[in-house]
Amino acid sequence: MSADAIVVGAGVNGLVAATYLAQAGRKVVVLEAKDRLGGACRTASFASGFQGPTLAHALYALDPRAVAELKLARRGLKFAVRDMPLVLLRADGKHLVIGRDVRAAARAIAVHSRADAEVWPRFRRELFDLARAMRPFWWDEAGKKMPAAIGMLHRLGLAAWLDSQFESDAVKAALAGDAAPLSPLAPGSSLLLVWRAAQEMCGLQGASAIPLGGPGALIDALTAAAKIAGVEFRTGVHVSDILMKDGAAAGTVLDSGDEIAASLVLASFSRRQLLATRAGRAAFGFSQAAELERSVPAAASAKVLLALNTPPAFGGIAVPLRGRFVLADRVETFVTAHAAARAGRLPEELPMEIVFPTVGDPALAPLGQHVVSIRIAPLPRHVTGGWDAARLAAKAIAALDRCASGLARHVTAAQVLTPDDIAAGAEDECVESVERMLSHWPSRIRTPIDGLFLCGAASEPVGAVSGRAGRIAAALALREAAR
Amino acid sequence: MRYDAAIIGAGAEGLAAAALLAASGVKTIVVERSERAGGRATTREFHPGFRASPFVDELPPIPADIHWALDLSRRGAIFRPAPVSSAIWPNRQNVLRRGDASSVHRFLGAATERASDIRAHAAREIDNAPRHSFFPLFKAQPAPASWPGEGWMASSLGEVLAREIGDPDTAAHLAAAALNGRTADPLVTGSALHLSTLDSSGAVTGGLGRLADALIAAAREAGAELFLGRDATDIRHAKGRVTGVGLADGSAIEARAVISTLDLKRTFLSFFQWNALPKEIVHAVGNFRMAGATARVLLALDTALSSAVDRRGAIHVSPDLGDLAEANSAWRTGTIAPRLPMTLRVVSAADPMLAPSGQAVVTVTLGAVPYRLFDGAWTREKRDVLRRQALAALEMAMPGAGAHVIAADVIAPPDIEEALGATDGDLAGGELAADQMSSAWPDFPYPRCPLKGLYLAGSWLAMSATCAAGAAAARTVTADLTSGKLK
Repeated sequence: MSADAIVVGAGVNGLVAATYLAQAGRKVVVLEAKDRLGGACRTASFASGFQGPTLAHALYALDPRAVAELKLARRGLKFAVRDMPLVLLRADGKHLVIGRDVRAAARAIAVHSRADAEVWPRFRRELFDLARAMRPFWWDEAGKKMPAAIGMLHRLGLAAWLDSQFESDAVKAALAGDAAPLSPLAPGSSLLLVWRAAQEMCGLQGASAIPLGGPGALIDALTAAAKIAGVEFRTGVHVSDILMKDGAAAGTVLDSGDEIAASLVLASFSRRQLLATRAGRAAFGFSQAAELERSVPAAASAKVLLALNTPPAFGGIAVPLRGRFVLADRVETFVTAHAAARAGRLPEELPMEIVFPTVGDPALAPLGQHVVSIRIAPLPRHVTGGWDAARLAAKAIAALDRCASGLARHVTAAQVLTPDDIAAGAEDECVESVERMLSHWPSRIRTPIDGLFLCGAASEPVGAVSGRAGRIAAALALREAAR
Repeated sequence: MRYDAAIIGAGAEGLAAAALLAASGVKTIVVERSERAGGRATTREFHPGFRASPFVDELPPIPADIHWALDLSRRGAIFRPAPVSSAIWPNRQNVLRRGDASSVHRFLGAATERASDIRAHAAREIDNAPRHSFFPLFKAQPAPASWPGEGWMASSLGEVLAREIGDPDTAAHLAAAALNGRTADPLVTGSALHLSTLDSSGAVTGGLGRLADALIAAAREAGAELFLGRDATDIRHAKGRVTGVGLADGSAIEARAVISTLDLKRTFLSFFQWNALPKEIVHAVGNFRMAGATARVLLALDTALSSAVDRRGAIHVSPDLGDLAEANSAWRTGTIAPRLPMTLRVVSAADPMLAPSGQAVVTVTLGAVPYRLFDGAWTREKRDVLRRQALAALEMAMPGAGAHVIAADVIAPPDIEEALGATDGDLAGGELAADQMSSAWPDFPYPRCPLKGLYLAGSWLAMSATCAAGAAAARTVTADLTSGKLK
């Protein structure tokens, strides 16, 4: 069997890349190891009558160009919630709601600190301006030069940056939740916040959104676009190696031993995964291989889905349920959790992000009932004695119960994905770093093998559901193939 | 009283600056709050017959040219780097000897080189100043393409050590040595910058007080005046330039240049009225991060110790990267971690002058000790927590030694602030982070600052060389005085 181009992995990036290649007139085959498409984006039933987002529960980084160019709206992508306010939950009922309205946010912040309320409009304006200045660099392959506006920010840890701007723990903790992949002490964590603010959803800068039907609906729209463009899919096939010919990629070898020939291969691999293939090992130099093989102390995450037989209710200040909720007392909660995670211990306080998908999309649960989607990060990759899903869920529910009292009694079903489960589902591990955020697109996408490009989330400046790596990898591959 | 230069603080930096300035004909005065000059370089009798340097046991070496210019060898200040460094765990130990031709020492050599690159990079601007007196402090170097610390900034201490060293015990040993008396999360990106402090620090025979004595002699001989027991309260300034120093007794010293050897925050936030300062100074200084993490326990023992470890160097107790990370996160929340990183030094083993014959002095340096505790002030009970942890470490390193302890002196971060005027008891003069390693004002590289006539010379400016910051300030002041910039 042969094709013009092979795309390995049918996540968002793989689908985007495949569609772009097919639209350019190539015969494209997508190879997916699992039986279904979608990668980290999936809406699945977890209890009778309840559906929820298996991994990613809100989208904040979808590539606006891919959305427009692939006409995803016409393929059925609609949004249930277009702009989720950020809500910091607190046990004392003084919840903090930060929405798009700067003045309303300042009023909410004034409950915690008047000085912070005064700083907020300026801070937000500066953050958004800086973020927009960074867009060419993070959004397009053409953006080569890092804008000078970033100044010393890439050397500054988020904790230090926030300390220099705000005094109340609430505001700092709410913002730190957006940079959770890195410890707030690490350089680059400030940059994560800027990166987050540089994203655009539904035409709104720095917004988060939920597609109607959950993240799985995005995959449905992308699959429809790909099929219309003529992309061919093969699921349940595992790629074991890259086929090489005259020092360039010439296709893929499957586990079954079959070979598929193609002059272009776009793989949703990370560099470490590429190293696991024979061709990758041969292509990387010794020092580069050693660099990649070094175990990286990556923090992991867990996902909990709860079925609730009543609408969630929080005491204290009224909160919009369509928001995304952050549960953390202060910035140090993330610092401590990162320290504990790397020491292989479960942190005392679990930093959590919570979303209620059924608020915007009631069809996901029986009438009057709700789904709670909780993402817990950072967590250790492994704990001694192995992961105890029940204990993790109990701990998360107890933490949530402190802010929404009585909620625990209304939980009728739960699904827990421990870091082990998530690692087994998606072998791709994304390690955020300053270097990655400040490197150029081609350096992340190109490989030492001609004709082989990496189009997965690991090629993004920051790991997220985006599709940008797919679009840029496809463009790069087409341009280099034309040469 | 009119002077060309007034120096606030008679620590090693202040004294070196005074000696060098006076030697080049600048009329110089040093104002010191304490009755004794020396700052960190002091030796104190903490129990009859038992002496120790209360704040640090060792200082980074004095660059050879300064050492020579101040004639310190003749004055009796002889640096003696420890020949050995150990790390011990309940069932094993790890020993590094100076001069071993191993990969570890190659790594240390490379780290020292990188640290001096960072220093040279920071000093390049100073070096461009016209040179009128003494010697080239920093070798002129071509401008590096990027900041030499960039590589360390992007990696964590644990990561660099795992890559370069391999052996986990040696890695933990070096991490503890790099963080000695400070705190950082060794697993967070950027913590590798602490490797720049892995230098060949040394003690001075007879205690660090000897170094102070030698520097005082050098300053006095050169003709500098020492004003001891006088508390400087404010730096006088008018029309954007400094005019002198005000003292607690109401008198004032007029000076064309003022050199502050205190840290950045103390210099600007306690010697000036904030509203009288340019906004960019208050902003930059306010955002500068400082926080003490060091406590010390000085122990007097009525027996000469014998132990399985080599007692002539630092003994790091049970270092573990995970524990260091957790101690750091406890420190950030104002709690005393159950296992603080600790370093023991049997100072009397290397320098018998410090204890009566047949007896011993042990110092314990504790890291990750918060200056502000979440539950209130540093009470006697909380100091006892430090004492207990220190004694437990002693017992582990030298079984049976605990019974011979006849006196224990606990020095908590507030005591360090009180004694040295270091903001929040921060001996390092600020958090070691990439964004804090260049001048807070891009247009005014240290030792200058946006206020004309004020120079900074705290030891925090050149953390891996003693007297270097003082010498750099002295050179800049001499240059500015002779070029007429301070008319």
